[in-house]
Amino acid sequence: MLKLENINKKLGAFSLSEVCIDIREGEYFVLLGRSGSGKTQLLELIAGLTNPDSGDIWIDNRKITGTKIQNRNVGLVFQDYAVFPNMTVYENIAYSLHSVKAKRSEIHERVTAIAGEFNISHLLNRSTIHLSGGELQRVALARTLISHPRILLLDEPLASIDASLKDDIRRLLRKLHKKGLTIVHVTHDYREAVSLATRVGVIHNGRIIQTGTPDEVFSRPVNKFVARYSGIRNFYRVKLVRENGILKARCDGTGSFVIKESSYPAEGIMIIKSSDIKIHTSEPTGSFANCFKGIVKEIYPSEYGMEIVIDAGEIFYVDVPSDDYKLLQIKELSEVWITFPADAGIVLEGTG
Amino acid sequence: MIKNTPFNWIMLFLSSLVLLFILAPLVGMFMKTGGSELLETINDNDVRESIWLTLWVAFAATLIFAIGSVPLAWLLARKRFPFKKIVQGIIDLPVVLPHTAAGLAVLGFISRDGFLGKAADAVGLTLINNPAGIAIAMAFVSVPFLINAARDGFAAVPERLEKAALTLGASRSRVFFTVSLPIAWRSIMTGFVMMFARGMSEFGAVVIVAYHPMIAPVLIYERFSSFGIHYARPASVLFILVALALFILLRLIPARKKEIKPVSDAEA
Repeated sequence: MLKLENINKKLGAFSLSEVCIDIREGEYFVLLGRSGSGKTQLLELIAGLTNPDSGDIWIDNRKITGTKIQNRNVGLVFQDYAVFPNMTVYENIAYSLHSVKAKRSEIHERVTAIAGEFNISHLLNRSTIHLSGGELQRVALARTLISHPRILLLDEPLASIDASLKDDIRRLLRKLHKKGLTIVHVTHDYREAVSLATRVGVIHNGRIIQTGTPDEVFSRPVNKFVARYSGIRNFYRVKLVRENGILKARCDGTGSFVIKESSYPAEGIMIIKSSDIKIHTSEPTGSFANCFKGIVKEIYPSEYGMEIVIDAGEIFYVDVPSDDYKLLQIKELSEVWITFPADAGIVLEGTG
Repeated sequence: MIKNTPFNWIMLFLSSLVLLFILAPLVGMFMKTGGSELLETINDNDVRESIWLTLWVAFAATLIFAIGSVPLAWLLARKRFPFKKIVQGIIDLPVVLPHTAAGLAVLGFISRDGFLGKAADAVGLTLINNPAGIAIAMAFVSVPFLINAARDGFAAVPERLEKAALTLGASRSRVFFTVSLPIAWRSIMTGFVMMFARGMSEFGAVVIVAYHPMIAPVLIYERFSSFGIHYARPASVLFILVALALFILLRLIPARKKEIKPVSDAEA
């Protein structure tokens, strides 16, 4: 549906390099990257606000690389909405219909209909100056979607919205996607990818470094950068060794972890998700692939409950839900045991 | 509120000196001009005609030059081109030139030997000692005020808004007329008022191009040099009053426009 083929674009000291993305009809594609990674530039290239130095862009098997912006049929919603401050909400939404010289009656009908759909009918005659972030986002979406673009590009659509309204906009975006709209959404927040994407791409320094379903990307990140993105904090530089037929990852420090057989590189970075590690206040009975004794170094509140930092030869970050934390009754300097299964450890290429 | 500290008092004192410096001569002039003198001047045909001439010529010059100045301001704000800094320097040049020298330069340009003079001559128009010549002299020294204010206005329009309009199918010209121009309008109007006021008060450049018909600053100078300060003062007071009234009126127009605060550009 939308295909980017070897896109290169130099923008001052920064450049997009060899960007290839293939987005299928009806997909919700989240492009994940830090500030300055080239996400916005990529959206502007697709929309036609800039042209690539080399490479091609295709929509529905039609090459649109040099096509005028006005003829691309691509909708772009900017990070802070870019709602025109000199027009009312109605005039903003009707803007694109005037571009195609639609009849006044048709404009009125379509604006009224889409305003109803986006719950902004009561705002139509208002100036846009005093609207809230959530209202502006709805106006910007209605203004873009009124002309039925083939694809909707969203630049950080949740970044400038109050936390309390984010759910509301997320629901709206899901609804639009359910109706069959193809969406490309760029963000720096992996939680948006987890909650919305059918497919994820990670962009770093102008290059796409991984694409896949959210599960593929976050469970099997290709490198430490992507792993960090999915909230992973446990990284260990390891060499793989085989002891008594069991595959182990030996750390630079003291630790040695049992890992599951897989086609891992001989050395690299091992990651463990904080939520895969369990804490025990007494020595656990039973058989665990990995079980270590340690001391609680620090305890912080986190968005999942509590984050416990444990020194067990290596430093481990463990996420514990609030209720479990209360049951554990641990404090700093408590003696604890941690366990995790062999398949919790994943070894990535690179030295980090 | 300003806090009661020695530092603030010193600042306040120094500021008051400057304000007094501006106000004292003007207030003195107003106080020394009697009501009967002023009334007599109002009834003076020459004075009335010169003030009217000054106003309409300055206004016409501003209006006509705005047609080219606004696009130039937009280019300076939005486009990169070779020698842009030099172009910006050229625009500011009339502000730093001695105005009599500017008048001489304009005279050379619009006299019968000059480029514009020849062209005007061909259609039977003499620019020297003609309102058209006055307008050109006024515009020469005042147009930088309009261009610079309009350029700042366009530069303050977030580019995202223009980009958004393009993605909504608008042509470049529609983007200009529906987004850039309305949002920069306040600054353009400020520049318009500044250019008009500067043109209206011009003496040096105009007196070289056209002693007659007489604009108010030339008339005031002529009365002063021929008859002395007593004759020149009432005409000055009247001109200042008219200019002030007009200035306040023009200031009210952009203030009544819808308040538009361009939002800052977000991270790219």
